[in-house]
Parts: sequence; structure tokens; C-alpha cells
Amino acid sequence: MLVFMQSLISGILIGGVYALIGIGLTIIFGVMRVINFAHGDILMIGMYMTYSLFTFFGIDPFVSIVITIPLMFMFGAFLQKVFINRMQGALPQNQILLTIGLGMIMSNTMMLAFTSDYKILSTDYSSSSIKLAGISISTPLAISFLITAAITAMLYWFLLKTDTGQAIRATAQDREAAQLMGINVKWMSILAFGMGSALAGTAGALISPTYYIFPQIGSTFTLKAFVITVLGGMGSIVGATIGGVIIGIAESVSAVYISSGWKDVVVFVLFLLVLLFKPAGLMGKSRM
Amino acid sequence: MKPAISIIRSSAGASPVAIALGLAVLAGLFLFPQFVQSPYALHIMILIFLSVIMGEAWNVIGGYTGQYSVGHAAYFGAGAYTTMILLQYKQISPWYGALAGIAVSLVVSLIIGSICFRLRGPYFVLASIAVAEIMRLSAMNLKDLTNGAEGILITEIPHLKFGDTLITDFLTKVPFYYIGLVIAIVTILVTWLMQNSKLGYYFQAIREDQDAAHSLGISLSLFKSSALAISAVFTSLAGSFYAIYIGFIDPPTVLALDISVQIVLICIIGGIGTIWGPVVGALVLVPLSEALRSNMIAQGIFKIGLASEESGVGIFLKEHLSHAHALIYGILVVVVILFMPDGVLGWAKKLAAKKGKE
Repeated sequence: MLVFMQSLISGILIGGVYALIGIGLTIIFGVMRVINFAHGDILMIGMYMTYSLFTFFGIDPFVSIVITIPLMFMFGAFLQKVFINRMQGALPQNQILLTIGLGMIMSNTMMLAFTSDYKILSTDYSSSSIKLAGISISTPLAISFLITAAITAMLYWFLLKTDTGQAIRATAQDREAAQLMGINVKWMSILAFGMGSALAGTAGALISPTYYIFPQIGSTFTLKAFVITVLGGMGSIVGATIGGVIIGIAESVSAVYISSGWKDVVVFVLFLLVLLFKPAGLMGKSRM
Repeated sequence: MKPAISIIRSSAGASPVAIALGLAVLAGLFLFPQFVQSPYALHIMILIFLSVIMGEAWNVIGGYTGQYSVGHAAYFGAGAYTTMILLQYKQISPWYGALAGIAVSLVVSLIIGSICFRLRGPYFVLASIAVAEIMRLSAMNLKDLTNGAEGILITEIPHLKFGDTLITDFLTKVPFYYIGLVIAIVTILVTWLMQNSKLGYYFQAIREDQDAAHSLGISLSLFKSSALAISAVFTSLAGSFYAIYIGFIDPPTVLALDISVQIVLICIIGGIGTIWGPVVGALVLVPLSEALRSNMIAQGIFKIGLASEESGVGIFLKEHLSHAHALIYGILVVVVILFMPDGVLGWAKKLAAKKGKE
């Protein structure tokens, strides 16, 4: 029972970060109907940003998100304005290929800048843990979960209560109707892509003390992000939050009870099953 | 005999100049190893053939039938692994191994088809990736069968004998050149025959409008599966050929997402849904990425004096540019998608048409 609780709790903790990745992807999809295959690579850039801030300026990875978030937002807004925007309304496959190409440019540029060696960001609390009723919780994971929870709460508040947030949701529900209501949908798209990138970058920053950092790590997270968003229902933020936690738990439980080599297979099988039997996702169809 | 006749009949439409030019190129390709002994030149040609095979194969399902599979590494890897496992552990000649690989790939394609063809658009793309990833992870984990992450290395390829006379011992690249060339030509021929057959029209009808095609009585699952099967056969053949030619395979080199993406790119860059698109794509991509890999680009930068070889930038470029050869893929894709949505071939045609008008 203790083993199960242990894996359940670490699953929930990592699931929080996954939720952040999934929410980013789902906002982009909801507003722009573009599947962002560069999502994991954007996360990877967030990791390297955090790594550089830590190595060159000694800024703690959890503090540095105040720098990472605005920078990643601008990066995302730039990508949307210069590249993605031109593809609005184009064939979905061409949009997918464009983002794949952008992802390749990102990962290979990072490889040029940092080489393909694995980097480790080790803080003095990287391997420490908190003991709680016999269950040990990794400190960096616990901190990142708290930050994730705070960011998610702020995001919900922003989307539900502010005018801009409501405009974003309106654009996601019906682009044309939103435009007729006087919402600047172009600006909303830039905002959505910026927010999605900022969330991915933040997730990258939060996991950088616990993961190896290397240029090709992106595709793993891109795939995970898809699984999470499809599981929750493309475009649904609540769905992505729940999907992230489910995937986190599925991974950590199957790593304990099957083997860590097969845990990703479990996730992909789960993904195919959802696609086959509940293609709209657990939370129904694109609602934000 | 039927196909041969139809080739002659259809080619009656082509101009004599084009036919003569085609025959000359073909003859040149067959005589190439007689004049060029450089192993590196042969290597580049073999890689081009390999890309042509993979590109044409993907074209059948992606270009003609409109089902964007980004999981073709599954068939490439299935072919490569079946051939290598049979050769390494059972000493079965790669000729039979490649056939077994095709059989395995056909089975895989049926399974993938039955799962993925219910899905459309982006969901289909994601499902095809998921299946290929499951295969990669399985190859990593089934260590008894695939040797896991260490991969399979072969040291000796059985000699090809006809009766008792030795035809080739596979010690040079020349036999590989001819095998690659023949498979590439067969792949192009098959695509061409398909394009002008009823089957090809069904495929294109499905690409243009699935629902309309369905309501006209075209069985979606049957013809999507047939297109995927044709595509899987040649992708698998390319995988077997690659495995034997390189002599080493592991999950990242034959089953990774990168392979699937590269296969798609050959088509996209050349021109999707056309016979010669993948050929153009291969001719653009292979030399470019080889030039980067072999540091020719860095040398070029030194030559034209953009950076000196001894400077910090020069040393950096020399050390790292060869690792980042996929960068050119990324830049090419973005440029092609944004500015030449019909690929290099389509763009060239448009350019020519414009010139003709003026």
C-alpha cells in the first residue's frame, strides 16, 4: 500500500507539470486550430534558458521563472506573428509540418549553441526529499507542483474573470462570431501562442532541476503533450489539467508495477484507446 | 505483359525528346559505377536511391491518398529488424529476410490501418506517431529479440551465388548501388502504374473528399488499407536495404520519429502527390545534408572568407556544424511550406509557366 501511495503521489506531482504543458498546447489549439508540434521544443528552450540563468548568473531555477515567463511569451508571440499566422486556414497537415520544421530549427540551433551533451542543473536541494508519513517526496518536484498549482489557478482566473480571458475563450469557441463581436482575433491568436509558449517554457524551467537537459528532449514532451490534450479533449483546459495528472499517475504507477522501460508504452496504448473509444476526450468537445 | 503494353501506350503521349532524355539518364545511371570508382560518390548515390524509395512509398499513402502518416518509421524499422534478426540469429539470407520483412510490415500495416483509419486529420497523424513510438519502445525493451538499445551489428553478408558461380561478395559498394537503383526504378514504376490505374483514381478520390468518395461506393477502409499496404511494402524494403548496407541498426536509427519525419519531408520538399516529387526531394535533401555532415559547408565558409579556420567561430563551426545537419531540414521545411506549398517541383513548374506567358 505504501508503495502504491508513494507512486501515486509522485505521479500527481509530475502530473502537475504535465498539466501545464497540456494546457499550453490546448490553448494554442483552441484559439488557432493549429496543432503545435514544436511544443516540446519550446519547453526545451525554457530548460536551456533556466540552465543558462543558473550557470551564468547563479539564479535559482524556481526564481528564474519570473524572467523565463515573459521571455518565452515574447518568443511565442514572435513565432505566431512571423510564421504560424501565415498558415491560418491552410491545410492542417501543412500547419503540422511547419511546426515540425520550426521545432527542428529550435533543437538544432540549441545543439549548435550548447552541443548535444547532457547537461545537469544541480542545486543543493536537487536530490533532497521531504518525509511525510513514510512517503518521501522529492523537494524540487514538490516545489514545482506548488508553483504549477499557483500558475494554473491564476490562469483559470484570467480566462474566466478578465475581459481579455473571455475574449480568448470566445475566439476559441467561434472565431468568426468573436470577430463580429468586435474582438481582435489576430491579437488573441498572438496572445494565445505567447501564453502557450510561456506555459511550456515554465514547465521546462520547473523540471530542469530533475531532468537531463539536451536538445532532443523536445519530441518526448511534444508527444506527451498530445496524449494529455487528446485525453482531456482538444481545446479543453480543464481536460488538459485532468489529463496531465492522469498521465503522470499512469506513468509512475506503471513504472513501479510493470517496469520503467514500458511506462511510455502504457501511456501510448492509453492514448490509442482514448482515440478509438472516446475521440472527443474525457471532457467532451473543444470547450475552454 | 499488360503493364508493359500500357507503358508503351501511355508514353506515346510523351515527346520523343523526353523519352530519349529519360533513356539517356537511365543508361547513365546503370553505367555510373563503371566510370566513377569513388566509394563516397557511390555512397551518396545509394542514399539518394534509398530516399527515392522511401519518398515514393510514402507518396502512395500521403500524397495520393491524402493520409498523412508520420509513423512510417514503423515499416522501415520492421523491415530492417526482421532482416537483421533473421540474418544474425538464424543465418537466413537477407534476400529471404527482406521478403519476411515485407510480410511483417504488411501485418503491421493492417493493424495500424484498422486502428488509425477510423481517425481523420490531426488525430490520424497523432495515432500514426503513437503506433511507431510503441514499436520503437518495444524494440528498446524486448532485449532478447532485438538486443535493445545496443542494436544489431552484422559483420558478414552472405555471398550471392548462382549455382556455384560467385556473382558478388558485397565487398564494394557497387552491388548495393545496383540493388538500390533497381528497387528505386521499380518503386517509381509501381507508383506510375498506380497513378494511371483505377486504384490510383480511387486513392485520389479519397484524398479529395472522403465522404464524397464513400458515397460513390468506394470502400474507404479497403482502399486506404491497400494504399498503406503498398506504401508499407516499399518502406520495409528500404529498411531491409538500409540495414544490410549500413550493417548496423538500433532503435534510434531505424524506428525514431526523426525517420518518419524525414520520409515525409522528402515528399513535401520535392512535391507531394507527383511521380517525380520524391526524386527531386531526394536530390535536394541528400546532397545538402551530406554536405553539412561532412563539414563541406564549414569548409565553404572558410573559403569565401566569412570566418577564418583558426578563429573561435571557425573552430566552433568545424566542431558542431556537422552534428546539426538536421538544421537544414528544418529551414528547408519552413521555407518550402511557407513559400512553395507545392514543393520545389511545383514551384519550378509555376515559374516555368510564368516565363512561358511572358
